[in-house]
Amino acid sequence: MKKRLMALAMAAMMALGCAACGGGADTASDAEAGNTVVVAIGGGFATLDPGYVYEKYPTLALNACYETLFKFFENDGAPEPLLVDTYEFSEDAKTLTLTLKDGIVFASGNPMTSADVAFSINRVKNLQSNPAFLADTIASIDTPDEKTVVLNLTQPDSAITAKLCYPSFAILDSEVVKENGGTDAEDAATTDTAQAYLDTASAGSGMYILTSYTPDAEFVLEKNPNYWGESTNVDKYIVQIQPDANTQMMTLASGDLDVAMNMTDDTMAEIEGTEGIAMINGATNTVGFIMMNMDETYGGPVSNPLVQQAIRKAVDYAGVKDLVGEGTATPYSIIQTTFMGNKGERAADYTNIEEAKALLAQAGYADGFTVDMTVSDLDMEGILLTDLAQKVADDLAQIGITVNIVTQAWGGGYGDAYRDGTLGFTVMYWGTDYNDPNVQLEFLPGAIVGLRAGWTADMDPELAAMYTAAMEETDVDARAAILGQIQDATYENGPFIMIAQAPAHIGYNTRLEGVDISDPYTLDVTKINIVG
Amino acid sequence: MDTLKFIAKRLVYMIIMLLGVATLVFFLTKALPGDGTTANLSQRALSDPEIVAAYRAKHGLDKPVIVQYFIYMKNLLQLDLGTSIRTNKDVLGELMRCFPATIELALFAIVIAAVFGILFGVISAIKRNSIIDQIVRAISVTGVSIPSFWFALLVLFLLYYKLQLFPGPGRLSTGFAAPQTVTGLYVIDSLLEGNIPKAMDALSHLILPGLVLASFTMGLITRTTRSNVLDVMSTDYIRTARAKGLSQTKLILKHALGNALIPVLTVIGLGLGNLLGGMVLVETIFNWPGVGQFAYESVLAADFPSIIGVSLLVALNYMVINTIIDILYGIIDPRVRCN
Repeated sequence: MKKRLMALAMAAMMALGCAACGGGADTASDAEAGNTVVVAIGGGFATLDPGYVYEKYPTLALNACYETLFKFFENDGAPEPLLVDTYEFSEDAKTLTLTLKDGIVFASGNPMTSADVAFSINRVKNLQSNPAFLADTIASIDTPDEKTVVLNLTQPDSAITAKLCYPSFAILDSEVVKENGGTDAEDAATTDTAQAYLDTASAGSGMYILTSYTPDAEFVLEKNPNYWGESTNVDKYIVQIQPDANTQMMTLASGDLDVAMNMTDDTMAEIEGTEGIAMINGATNTVGFIMMNMDETYGGPVSNPLVQQAIRKAVDYAGVKDLVGEGTATPYSIIQTTFMGNKGERAADYTNIEEAKALLAQAGYADGFTVDMTVSDLDMEGILLTDLAQKVADDLAQIGITVNIVTQAWGGGYGDAYRDGTLGFTVMYWGTDYNDPNVQLEFLPGAIVGLRAGWTADMDPELAAMYTAAMEETDVDARAAILGQIQDATYENGPFIMIAQAPAHIGYNTRLEGVDISDPYTLDVTKINIVG
Repeated sequence: MDTLKFIAKRLVYMIIMLLGVATLVFFLTKALPGDGTTANLSQRALSDPEIVAAYRAKHGLDKPVIVQYFIYMKNLLQLDLGTSIRTNKDVLGELMRCFPATIELALFAIVIAAVFGILFGVISAIKRNSIIDQIVRAISVTGVSIPSFWFALLVLFLLYYKLQLFPGPGRLSTGFAAPQTVTGLYVIDSLLEGNIPKAMDALSHLILPGLVLASFTMGLITRTTRSNVLDVMSTDYIRTARAKGLSQTKLILKHALGNALIPVLTVIGLGLGNLLGGMVLVETIFNWPGVGQFAYESVLAADFPSIIGVSLLVALNYMVINTIIDILYGIIDPRVRCN
């Protein structure tokens, strides 16, 4: 009996052993060898339907499978024509006339026409989902012929070409989408049923097609055989969802992964110097900020402009950079260093504790004060907002301000209070909706985020007026000048202090060329080639 | 006939319990602040009252809670668990999509836990107070007390990254495409495809997460088996058997183990129920698209229909497993059958 027991145990061990061997790298697989690249991203997402997408990671797939009228070819915030051959604004800047390039075909083989463009934009607008606001300034679309699209705007919109770069404005093969329940009618929010199809297949003209998607696990992109442009040499992308940074590090170092999108300072240090692996660090558009409510009812002492200046002087920006990690930037004021018209970073020697104390005394708080800071459970690109808040609290303690950090779940009341403008003092982050400095204008008095800080337009009418001026100025130089004035006006004043532009850390196998940080598309796979 | 009556009775209990669970979870989730709108719409979209209104209307969030409850229960009785707020898909379909991954891993883990747990428990009992007993007890205590997320990272670091003995995260190596879905269990579906290398690959990917998940239940089974074997060994009928001259091993395996295994079955059942509920951290670390990951994403998105769906699934698991255990009791122990 003893022997039988032993045999049973051995058999079980051998079965596991055999299976383990079966999982080795040399095992025959059913995939074509080809040029396959494996990418890991940090989280699951709700959908791959461009009409609903607003999360970060789906943009990688949409940029690969679809194309937009304009595109950010570099991570510099400068939109350039992609599907558009020529474009022209009317004199009053309320009409944008676009001509499509010749020879563009969808993966289905259908040629792209102006009707597809109108369908795609109207569908986004009428689905009334997250990205619908991007079409707010588009009043109507005319298609006088198969190549010409006329966007009639409700007002001059200096960011319209940047908005048209956003993957939600991917141009869909309207014939295929309609066949699968899609519609661009006004009641699309309740009648469109194409999401189920677009979550498992793509209907675009991009370099790749979506061949499979297993939610919360992976999606696969394969070369579009009908691609009209010039392709790279990568035949297939397997994009795996690996939420854990340690797992990404280990799979990258083991050679099972080519690109790890969510490296951290710790995981980068672990594999630093490993042969065949390189790292990229750089600032993203996501920015963390301190918000001090201008309404004394909610803000208490931090609603005092002199106190706000004192807090601005007391923050140790270099220390915040160290905390957030390599690649972090401190914006000059409300516009990130990655946007056109930005004024770079805040001066390195800006922090001055003595000046901060003097400002506090001038405000009538020579002995400091105690204040609650409500912080959500969210993280900014992996950095907990509570950690950022603790750093701010430590800095403010040096000038006599005692900060009590109160944590509250985003879905458990914080989000509502933030939106309703009833938070007095907080650290929050802002993920940009589209790649244009106009998104930052919402931090001005009377605008969306400004009002969340109780900053009404009548508190600073001159600055509030710059919102419209910047929104409507389509001349690049004139627009940059307005943006410069806005940044100067908010450098030392106002209820917002931008403390850190979150960094991205990408680890990749050096057999690849063209891997780079891409804020609008997460990773622009249409630029990557295999060289090793 | 009695067995059929017993099963029918349990089925009625199950339905009543499930409706109770659904009611409880529904009102508990509704008692939480927020209704999923804040968690699922972007900051810009939340600033547009039209978008917010359309979103709330689409998901029925604009109706009074009591109306939402009756609509939910009416749909539930037709096996309609509603639509996920996060993914806009049918919740039942979403659960059916991710449950097989969890079943495959849970079954693998429970088999490891049961085989090695009983084996170690018996050895420990036979070699009571010996060095082997001490080692087995140390292993079982470690298995019960070690945090699963830490153990997961440790085995991944050592056995995959450093020693390269086992494959990494995921259900299959990147060279393999997912098999055609029949059962949703990759090992079985690959075998049905006739693809032995793929089946072996799928099996190999079960080892590390299976080992991590098995450790806790294995520890419990080892301890329960050991203590029950020792208890039974002190009974009169064992003493009589020993007096007849039977060896210690024969006594345990032939006379003691059957009785000692009854409480162990309960531990195995509860362990399986626990595993079938999805293990969030282990599934996250091993990139395993099961119920745990689905529950995690649903909670983050305040996706109430999905949260209730997962709760019902977990409750159903326990009820089904308990019923099966009750039936197995009868098979193992004739006294239970008579009662």
